[in-house]
Amino acid sequence: MALKALDIYKLLPKKNCKECGDPTCLTFAMKLASGKADPDKCPYLDPQAKEVLGSSTKPPVKPMRIGVGERSFRIGEESCLYRHEKTFYHAPGFFLALKDSSGESQISTIANRVEKDLLVRAGQDLRLNGVAIISDSKNPETFGSVVKKVEELVSLPEILISNDPKIVEAGLTYCGSYHPVIHAATRENYPEMCRLALKFGCRLIISEGDITKIPELVNECVKIGVPDLILDPCVDNLSDCLKKFTVIRKKAVTREDASLGYPLYLDTGRFKDRSGSLYLGILKYASLIVIHDLPEPVEKAALTLRQGIYTDPQRPIQMEPGLYKIGEPGKDSPVFMTVNFSLTFFTLQGYLESSGVSCYMLIVDTEGLSVLTAVAAGKLTDTLVNETLKKADLANIVSHHTLIIPGYAAPISGKLEDETGWKILVGPRDAAEVGTFLESLQSGETK
Amino acid sequence: MAEKGTYEWSSRVGVVKIGATKSEGGTRGKSYTIGGSSNIPFFSEKNPPRIALEICDDIAFWPGLLKDNLPDITADVSEWAKKGEMEWGADLIRVYLTSTKKKHFSDFPGIKKVIDEILSGTTLPLIIEGSDSPEIDSDVFLNCGEAGSGERLLLGTAEADRYRSVAAAAIAYNHAVIAQSPIDINLAKQLNILLRETGMPDNSIIIDSYTGALGYGFEYSYSTIERIRYAALKGDDDLAMPIISSAPDTLGVREVRESPPETKYETAIQWEFGTALSSLVAGASIVCVRLPETIKLLKTAIIDLSSPSVEDI
Amino acid sequence: MVDITQSLTEGKKILEKKLADIKVLVGYGETAYHLPVSYSLTGKEVNSGEDAEIAYKATSDSLLVATEAIVAAGSVAGSTADNSIYTGFIGDSVIRKLGYSLVDGSILGLALIAGKASEAGIVSGIARELQEKLLLTFLAGDIAKGLDNEGVKIGLGYRLVPLGPDTLSGIHFVDILARVAMMFGGVAPGDPSRLLRYAEERAKAFVIALPGLSPEEIAFIDALRPLGIPILYYKGYEGENWIRASPENIVQKGMELRGIKVMVTAIPIPMACSPAFEGKSIRREEMYVEFGGGKKEAFELLTMKPKEEVIDGKVTVIGPEISQLKEGSASSLAIIIEVAGEQMKKDFEPVLERRIHNFVNYGEGSWHVAQRDLIWVRLTKEAVLKGLKIEHIGKLLALKFKMDFPSLIDAVQVTLITDEPKVILEKKEAEKIYMERDERVAGMKDTDVQLFYSCTLCQTFAPNHVCIITPERSALCGAISWLDGKTAYEISPSGANQPVQKGAVIDALKGEFEEVNRFVRKASHGEIDRCSLYSIMEYPMTCCGCFECIALILPEVNGIMVVNRDYKGETPSGMSFSTLAGTIGGGAQTPGFMGISKGYILSDRFLQSEGGIKRLVWIPQILKDELGKRLIDKLEQLGISSFYNKISTDKNATTIEDLILFLEKEEHPALSMPPLIGG
Repeated sequence: MALKALDIYKLLPKKNCKECGDPTCLTFAMKLASGKADPDKCPYLDPQAKEVLGSSTKPPVKPMRIGVGERSFRIGEESCLYRHEKTFYHAPGFFLALKDSSGESQISTIANRVEKDLLVRAGQDLRLNGVAIISDSKNPETFGSVVKKVEELVSLPEILISNDPKIVEAGLTYCGSYHPVIHAATRENYPEMCRLALKFGCRLIISEGDITKIPELVNECVKIGVPDLILDPCVDNLSDCLKKFTVIRKKAVTREDASLGYPLYLDTGRFKDRSGSLYLGILKYASLIVIHDLPEPVEKAALTLRQGIYTDPQRPIQMEPGLYKIGEPGKDSPVFMTVNFSLTFFTLQGYLESSGVSCYMLIVDTEGLSVLTAVAAGKLTDTLVNETLKKADLANIVSHHTLIIPGYAAPISGKLEDETGWKILVGPRDAAEVGTFLESLQSGETK
Repeated sequence: MAEKGTYEWSSRVGVVKIGATKSEGGTRGKSYTIGGSSNIPFFSEKNPPRIALEICDDIAFWPGLLKDNLPDITADVSEWAKKGEMEWGADLIRVYLTSTKKKHFSDFPGIKKVIDEILSGTTLPLIIEGSDSPEIDSDVFLNCGEAGSGERLLLGTAEADRYRSVAAAAIAYNHAVIAQSPIDINLAKQLNILLRETGMPDNSIIIDSYTGALGYGFEYSYSTIERIRYAALKGDDDLAMPIISSAPDTLGVREVRESPPETKYETAIQWEFGTALSSLVAGASIVCVRLPETIKLLKTAIIDLSSPSVEDI
Repeated sequence: MVDITQSLTEGKKILEKKLADIKVLVGYGETAYHLPVSYSLTGKEVNSGEDAEIAYKATSDSLLVATEAIVAAGSVAGSTADNSIYTGFIGDSVIRKLGYSLVDGSILGLALIAGKASEAGIVSGIARELQEKLLLTFLAGDIAKGLDNEGVKIGLGYRLVPLGPDTLSGIHFVDILARVAMMFGGVAPGDPSRLLRYAEERAKAFVIALPGLSPEEIAFIDALRPLGIPILYYKGYEGENWIRASPENIVQKGMELRGIKVMVTAIPIPMACSPAFEGKSIRREEMYVEFGGGKKEAFELLTMKPKEEVIDGKVTVIGPEISQLKEGSASSLAIIIEVAGEQMKKDFEPVLERRIHNFVNYGEGSWHVAQRDLIWVRLTKEAVLKGLKIEHIGKLLALKFKMDFPSLIDAVQVTLITDEPKVILEKKEAEKIYMERDERVAGMKDTDVQLFYSCTLCQTFAPNHVCIITPERSALCGAISWLDGKTAYEISPSGANQPVQKGAVIDALKGEFEEVNRFVRKASHGEIDRCSLYSIMEYPMTCCGCFECIALILPEVNGIMVVNRDYKGETPSGMSFSTLAGTIGGGAQTPGFMGISKGYILSDRFLQSEGGIKRLVWIPQILKDELGKRLIDKLEQLGISSFYNKISTDKNATTIEDLILFLEKEEHPALSMPPLIGG
């Protein structure tokens, strides 16, 4: 049962010594309550309190960093079964699979693809995350040489995949210092795999298909001292994937079984339905996803889905304020003003594009609030619009000085005219009607 | 139940029947029971989710992608419906009467003709989407309701300020209704209450919480569907109806439009598949798509997701 | 003058005889119901004279059953009158369409006119009015022929349906009602009480009985009354149960009796109106005339009146009209709106009054600012040139109020006064009413009311959060008071504001109530078990994310601090507003933390369980300034005026250490109050 901030505060020394990095014990207590701090940071905690706190404040799914450097990323730290309860914190990493039987060109194609593929959406850079090298050859030298080649080409997070510790070790020779992920420890090989994980500081994936047997294996590895574990429940069909992942996540967030409180691993190559398993993994709690072939259409859809699902529902994506073009606008093209809430932006953009009319969109910063909310909250103001207008130098871009504003912004139309000196036309409330509005503009019905 | 990793729920999603076979008073080859779940999606579903193929009676009003790739089929609405059933494996046909979008549309008897054609073109249960403009609602829905009398259609779409005519047609001719709200669980609830007040029984309402395409607000829709399913299982009778999901803008999104020609169609398929599959996982009981390839992908996925797992109760 | 009571006795005898005389009863084709009226009342088919007699007895001598059998016996199955204008019995498939129109609202109600052709002159006017008001009218008797001769267009397509030459053919009106009830109303055959309910609620109908009906016709018509259908007449009868009205008013009366309202859709004034014009202001150069605005007296007032005192749509201008006002001048104005309605309540007056501002601004050439006696209104030269008059503003208001509040307002009348002395006089009365309203709200205590109100508007963002709004505790967003919640509920009962019973008091100090707990449990989907309305430490109310302020405990000083959204700086808690907002929002119940409205700080209930406002140790200076005099007055009321200076602000402390020093220096009461934690 999760402890509340005040209950936690009662267990803390209350010295406000700031050694944990927070200005007061209360602040630290609040962070602990939301699973965003580590009780170990408090040097004055008595052992009893530490135990109570440890089990009930640590993030239900263990946080850990994957890889090092610029392209490294965090996983874990999750506390929900549904994103609408609070949010999903860390998006899964996509790893392209590379068999060690591959030739030079294949190796460089894959490595470069992971490094360079980029989809820019709503002001965010969406990328693939790493390379998963699989021992097909069953030969340590071959495996090692492929890892070496990858290392020479790129600096990306890696997963080394083989059940044979010798093969894994061969790979670690070349990338061990970058703390890759290794797959996998099983009931048969876990002592050696754990040794390797400890030696090289790797994240260790535990492979076990029977959920009831996972805790035992986890505890063995924890006993040996490996801190960062990832679970592979060996799923190869959508039904098992959905159900096992849900059960594991549920037991973790309700703290029913702390030994299931680790991130999940998914290899879509095991599935008949490749793209389906990828989408399912994104929706249902996978933290590391290995993908064997990724056609561009699937890649785009998956990156977009991942971006959406892992957006904090309470902090909607915001667009960068400024001027945006639709089609090839010129000096006479209409200008539509609206807010920087991404949903509003894309909705209006979509309808403007379908209308076939070239025009401009002037986006103002309402901190992601929708038109209605921004007007009600007093965030969409005449001064804000005027500043944005000036910054975009709009007066020199279009010869008419007319601005079309959303229907719900009608209450500020008068003030806007006064502040900007531009003519203000009030457009429709529903973006879907923007096409009809443009028609009536052109036919002279609306002036 | 707890050790199996699932939940204890106090209630379930209601059921709605769509389609009527001969013994049920219609001419459909089969009829479906939609909904009825007593757990989170695919954890022992009583009635499998269904896939609807979306077609329209005037292709000029839809994104060009379809016309470009299936020019002959999309010109004849009845052939299109037949293909959907015989070759592409759809469970339902959803017909958009896009011809009503024409300015000053008034050919209401024509609507009956179109529906009759489709009824003879396919034996699948039908979803009929009426008009786009409120002014002609009354006449359009009257004709839809009458034309489909006895067939237990699913009629679309009721909205908060536009529900009387579609509700009237449903009550008068015994059809079910799609109740659509703009991605807001409270508005979905309110609309159901308003529909009940006209006399619509709960077992004839299917919720559409509006689905944005991937990257265009899809995650809002996803969470709303999850929340509606959760509320139904927790005993909220005003939300215990099955859910339908369709992302109508999908084929026109920028990612599809601006793809290189060689991958454009495939991108459209993946966009549709990703959206529909995710909606199913969130809790939708009917998903609607326009591309034949998507239907195939979804069918396989549904069979897989519905197959028993060691984690089922 | 025919005596109805006498005619009833006579008429009944005649009908009974006709019933007994039935030899053959073939009935109608094109229907699944034999015969609709008796089937709906008894659940049994009538196929012969004997069946009819049985049904008659089974329904306690229902003359509707008798008439139906009599008419059915006289008609031949499957045929409609050939070459004549009459429809006779109308088949099921047409009736289905009729039911559709009733549900979808294209037909508002039903009327039956029964009687002779001699009245056609008067009736043609009545018939036209019925058509205009979207009612479907049936004609029974040769009045149909009479209207036809007058040149009135009749037939189903004209919503004026001639049933038959005999007044008794009016029974088809009833068999249509019965079938609609069974087809769409879910009324099962043999369930008369449900049929009655359906007729009352959904099939709004009334009858106009023309003078000169025979006894059996009177008996039949009167038998419609038990279905909740009123019988109206304009001359020729005397009796209690039939309702008299003049021919000019008879349709209106019928509609009133059945609660049929015509929807307003257009505003026929020479000025465009749309929400799109709302923000448009009118500059000095553009205006033709202005009212109020500090230059001349002006006020607006909306009050509720009994329905007898309100003439719907009436607009009166007292004083100079536009043509008599000089261009560019300032004038006085009183906007007085009087509304009447079954569902209207005095409490709604201020809420509706606020809408005057929006409605006037919808006009392309009209502009309105502020409220009550501070209003400032302008009309443009352009609009006046197009013919806009002051009375048109009145018309706009009258129609908009009806359009926007159809369920609340049955009638509205507007008086606009531009005569200065009169405005000044009326203003004094208005001011009394404003004061009354203010006192009513200010003085309201939680203990005065039986119901609180909930708000789940924010559940889109915080799925399990619900605000409980009481007279002494407004919603945490600051936008919804108890009165607002009550009004919102009464205007839309299925909306986001619902009534919450208090139930038994569990703890008066903490503000914990049994039914409130039960409500919160349900509204939060089982996430929250208990809620103390007046406590921050134990089971405080949950919050979403749009609170105006956050109140939280500062354990080091045993007190509570409050920080508002507009304050961007550091607080002694070590966390800024946005950091705090991120951790306490989303519907969580966090003891020691609460999202509140600014106004709540001044409420008696604020921190009641923890000792009241004396626990307040720190608020931002901007908030202290904003609360200003109200805070000072409040503390004076409590007898602790000096406490004002003991409340620290960011001007004297932004860290906990500084705060401790300050509070100790000022000898803040919280330091010596019972400990907040550890109890």
